[in-house]
Amino acid sequence: MDEHPVRVTVTDDLQRNRWTVFFRLILAIPHFIWLALWGIAAFVAAFVNWLVTLVDGRSPEPLFDFLAAYIRYATHVYAYVLLAANPYPGFTGEPGYPVDVELGRPERQNRWKTGFRIVLAIPAIAVTGALVDGAPYSWNAQANGGGGNMSFRTAGTGVAVTVAFLAWFAILARGRMPRGFRDLVAFCLRYAAQTYAYVFVLTERYPDADPALPEAVEPAPPSPVRLTLEDDPRRSRLTVFFRLLLAIPHVVWLALWSIAAFFALIGMWVATVIAARPPDGLHGFLSSYLRYAIHVYAFVFLIGGPFPAFNGAPGTYPVDLELPGPEPQGRWGAFFRLVLAIPAFAVAGALGGVLFVSAVLAWFFSLVTAREPVGLQRLGAFALRYTAQTDAYAFLLTSRYPYSGPATRVADEQLALAE
Amino acid sequence: MSARRAAGLAALALAAAAWVVFALLLWRSSRVPASLRLPKVDLGALFTAHQLARARSFERFIRIDWLLSELALLGVLAVYARRGARFARESAAGRTGTGLLLGMLGLGIVWLAQLPFGFAEVWWERRWGIGHESYAKWLLGGWLGLAGAFLFVCAALVIVMGLARVLGGRWWLVGGPVFVVLAALFTFVQPYLLGGTHPLRDRALLADAERFARAEGLPRIKIVVQDVHAETSSPNAEAVGLGPTRRVVLWDTLLDGRFTPREVRLVVAHELGHLSRNHLLKGLAWFALFAIPGAWVIARATRRRGGMAEPAAVPLALFVLVVLQLLALPLQVAISRHFEAEADWMALRTTRDPAAATGVFRKFTTVALEQPDPPDWAYLLLADHPTIEQRIGMAKAWRNLHPPPG
Repeated sequence: MDEHPVRVTVTDDLQRNRWTVFFRLILAIPHFIWLALWGIAAFVAAFVNWLVTLVDGRSPEPLFDFLAAYIRYATHVYAYVLLAANPYPGFTGEPGYPVDVELGRPERQNRWKTGFRIVLAIPAIAVTGALVDGAPYSWNAQANGGGGNMSFRTAGTGVAVTVAFLAWFAILARGRMPRGFRDLVAFCLRYAAQTYAYVFVLTERYPDADPALPEAVEPAPPSPVRLTLEDDPRRSRLTVFFRLLLAIPHVVWLALWSIAAFFALIGMWVATVIAARPPDGLHGFLSSYLRYAIHVYAFVFLIGGPFPAFNGAPGTYPVDLELPGPEPQGRWGAFFRLVLAIPAFAVAGALGGVLFVSAVLAWFFSLVTAREPVGLQRLGAFALRYTAQTDAYAFLLTSRYPYSGPATRVADEQLALAE
Repeated sequence: MSARRAAGLAALALAAAAWVVFALLLWRSSRVPASLRLPKVDLGALFTAHQLARARSFERFIRIDWLLSELALLGVLAVYARRGARFARESAAGRTGTGLLLGMLGLGIVWLAQLPFGFAEVWWERRWGIGHESYAKWLLGGWLGLAGAFLFVCAALVIVMGLARVLGGRWWLVGGPVFVVLAALFTFVQPYLLGGTHPLRDRALLADAERFARAEGLPRIKIVVQDVHAETSSPNAEAVGLGPTRRVVLWDTLLDGRFTPREVRLVVAHELGHLSRNHLLKGLAWFALFAIPGAWVIARATRRRGGMAEPAAVPLALFVLVVLQLLALPLQVAISRHFEAEADWMALRTTRDPAAATGVFRKFTTVALEQPDPPDWAYLLLADHPTIEQRIGMAKAWRNLHPPPG
């Protein structure tokens, strides 16, 4: 597939100044004001650009440059505020910032796609919301005598904001941005920049949700907990339509299994703290439980197509989890494991919002096209991988802390299908 | 004919004869006096022409809608029986898990196919002021009901496929009785599964109920009220539970002032009649009489698909099950009518109030738009209660047998 015309480059060295990080939000106030003013102008310019592109089939260069500078500037400001970059950004959106945006030149655009741009952009805006600001994943439903009445409210914090909050503490302690956090924020900003460019009619290329794509992001460090995605994105509309209901037996079975897993976890914790190594039997049991849970989540959130088996056996599902065998672990690390896992749980919670939004969008898309959108599938797989790593860490299946950087191992067949 | 085949046929004939004997014994265990002849009822004197036309018009649509819905059900399941096994490729769950998937998908398809007819029924009932449920709430309720059905079909398939893996084609020998036990268990706990109920607060009615229960040889039976007025204005009541869980459930639409206290008393006595004559227990016996041979037919029908241990047999089993249910429908509604007639008689015997009986049955037509004299085919296929004409006729017959003194 061609490279996306909107790219984010990362040249940041992870070093941070504790003082500027401590006062980051206050320091950014002038940028917030300038960004809001520029935003008003950008909104008007985007409307004009939409009209002109609708007539002419191409963005006029001055408007394109003005809006591209705005996107670049917004990315700089967000990268600064969300701690993905260290230097104080300029006010003009000049290229060269450590987290920067590259946009191509104006290109010919399809008038139909231009005309319905704002409607077509709704899924991308929803994903951007989940990635950056907050996921709209809480429903309020009530019915009255005259008819159904459903309201929709925003709840939860976006991934980038959650990560920045945690990173703030980490940087103040270590003077350095954790690489996984930086890469995750960079991915969120890349998706947001692509969404802006799409909404502003600078490109007709849809934002790419695949988290493995940003070129500047280095490959993830090897982890003993890996998620493999070898699923054919073709879907049966019927199993997609009834997906939630079809998951009911699995949800019941998982709930029953969870009761046993809870007591197994207590035993595992006591044994690991005493022996500095998890017992083989409990390790195997909790590994099967976690693998099964991931199979079920993959099915529910439409990352996997087939109906999963009930035993959590490895190799039985196209979205599978590779887990390490029992290995020695530090007693202190094991003793405080649940406390240590709190930040990872926070990130996993925010990624849960992404998982939800991507599943809802994939549901509609798959019903219409009988195919899972590959980008959303990989985004969901990434969120699931992080959840699995977090749970594996909390369950003492590994002592390796979850890595939040967006990189998913994807089988070659999957890539071939996507192309 | 080989000796084995002859022995098989003889065993089948013996089983059929035993079935008939048990069915006859069961049928004869519930009855109204054998000498009772229902007198002719002049509907024109009880109802205005407008009332009769309204009820006829209302029920005609409901019946046609039901017929079309059943046709759609059969058509969809026939196609699913032929092609449903293809969905096995959507599963990574092994044999039993795949069977569960195919079972749930079958129910899902049926739900989708029947959705327009259900929608039409809701629309019709709203139009006539019988139903008050919003379309969204109805749809949500249907969706939740489907979730329950999915759970049920999964449990049933786990039992059947598990037994078939162990016992092969003879799974029905154990499977049939297992389902009877499960049905008994469900009947026992059903009172606790009813939502939106509260105890009856009408002291006079409670005292009457206690008196009726004593007269019918029952211990004190709990009377509860179920709030349904938001969904329907149709009146109804039912007897539920087994042994210590037995109770009478009155819909709150029966207590909204449209029925006189005497009429409500009659309804309570009718439901107590069901309990005193052990209709729920007998219903379970009838279920056993249908379930065990039904399981045998399914086991035979699915042999060519490898038997019920194979997921490919599940779509066919669903189709066979629905066909069997349809074939048994005339007999099932006849059994139900038989029970209801006996409960009506018990209510008349207990309350000695044929005027109240006539009043309440009459209102079933004027309020709930029940056609007093449905066409024969509808009576045979759908009438799980005696017709209004028959029920009023029974009240009249009771009065003839027990003329007021003086």
